[in-house]
Amino acid sequence: MKLHEKILTHYLSCTSPVDKEGYLYKKKERNASYQRRWFVLKANLLFYQERPADRHLLGVIVLEGCAVRSSEFDGQFTFSLVFQGPGLKTYRFAAEDRQTQESWVKALLSASHCYLSLLVRDLGKQYEEAKQQQSSGESRPGSSASAQPGKGHSQSLTLLHPGALLPTQELRPAGREGRAFSASYALHAPSIPTKVVNKKSPKLWPKRNAHVTPINGPAPLYGEWPLVGLDPLEEFSKLHDYYGQEVKQVRDEWLRSRQAQEEHRNKDLIDLG
Amino acid sequence: LPGTQPTALAHCNVDCTSENTDCVVVKKRLVKLVVNFLFYFKTDEEEPLGALLLEQCRVEREDSQVFSIAFLDEAERKYLFECDSEEQCVEWIDSIIKASYEFMRKNLIFYRTEIHRLTGKDPLEQYGILDETRFQVSNGLPLMPKDTSSM
Repeated sequence: MKLHEKILTHYLSCTSPVDKEGYLYKKKERNASYQRRWFVLKANLLFYQERPADRHLLGVIVLEGCAVRSSEFDGQFTFSLVFQGPGLKTYRFAAEDRQTQESWVKALLSASHCYLSLLVRDLGKQYEEAKQQQSSGESRPGSSASAQPGKGHSQSLTLLHPGALLPTQELRPAGREGRAFSASYALHAPSIPTKVVNKKSPKLWPKRNAHVTPINGPAPLYGEWPLVGLDPLEEFSKLHDYYGQEVKQVRDEWLRSRQAQEEHRNKDLIDLG
Repeated sequence: LPGTQPTALAHCNVDCTSENTDCVVVKKRLVKLVVNFLFYFKTDEEEPLGALLLEQCRVEREDSQVFSIAFLDEAERKYLFECDSEEQCVEWIDSIIKASYEFMRKNLIFYRTEIHRLTGKDPLEQYGILDETRFQVSNGLPLMPKDTSSM
């Protein structure tokens, strides 16, 4: 499967926020040795390369449908990304110390697109409620309705812990409101850093202004978010390591397992197994 | 919703390797939107041919049934998609824009700031993710008029 590398490497190097970066040891599959790699977590993608300054990307792991497990093994501060399903594997890492290990685990737990999508939906609801409270004259800060979002609302709220995969989303049938976000929250791209141009590209299109604005206007409310990736019948190939001289296939597979969800929700992070 | 059902679209690939640069190859592909990736398949195959990361891209309406995705990488490559109907075209554009992680992050930060302003409470506190870098208000967004230093 062709993974459009330039798009990925561009995203890695552009000025969108880096959520975490640092050295970690990555376990090689075959001989169980660890290799030191530079990792960059951006959005739901975990990039890695040999060194920070490297232009050459070794791989990228898409953080969807995986469990994050941490353990202390043989004095090492290890953790792993477990993708379940046929043909899928587990990525194992080791950190220098406990603090690093915990910090990475925490960051990885809240990294998935799925998680963010649900979080945004929840907050969207809370926002609407808070606004209504305000307009109806109950503008006391910390009023109970907004402080207890889990009560009396969609069940997805109570299950929203980092790392949990939710079974189904039930969208409340909400109509689209007229009110929109201000334009300052529209999607816009930062200026493109100048880089070496790929000689091969034909450049059939004239260069355009790099600013991106959504043509459909600002974000709508909850209830409008696309149900991407949560159809129980869907399966996706998982993305694996791709780059480098050992050309590997990168596949993305979507995990749809209620069992896994229960496990994620209830299990301890420390796995002494 | 377009994101849940694979929809057959015609995919016009501008990276045409023919000598004649006016030549544009149109291929019919099954396109699936999964989180912030656009997978495309040959219509009858299970394995995707490829995947496009939907970040740092610009989605535009080109025609009544055609939209384009331009990637802001060095080559500024552009892909055209022809839909079966105008309605479908609009839905796809909408879905693709909203599928972007960065788009969602910005909305989250907006909500967080607003809820805090309206209620005095940080809504992320209950989830235990207050100090996660990815949700910080100062991440590239214009700051709210009110003081948000408590975040």
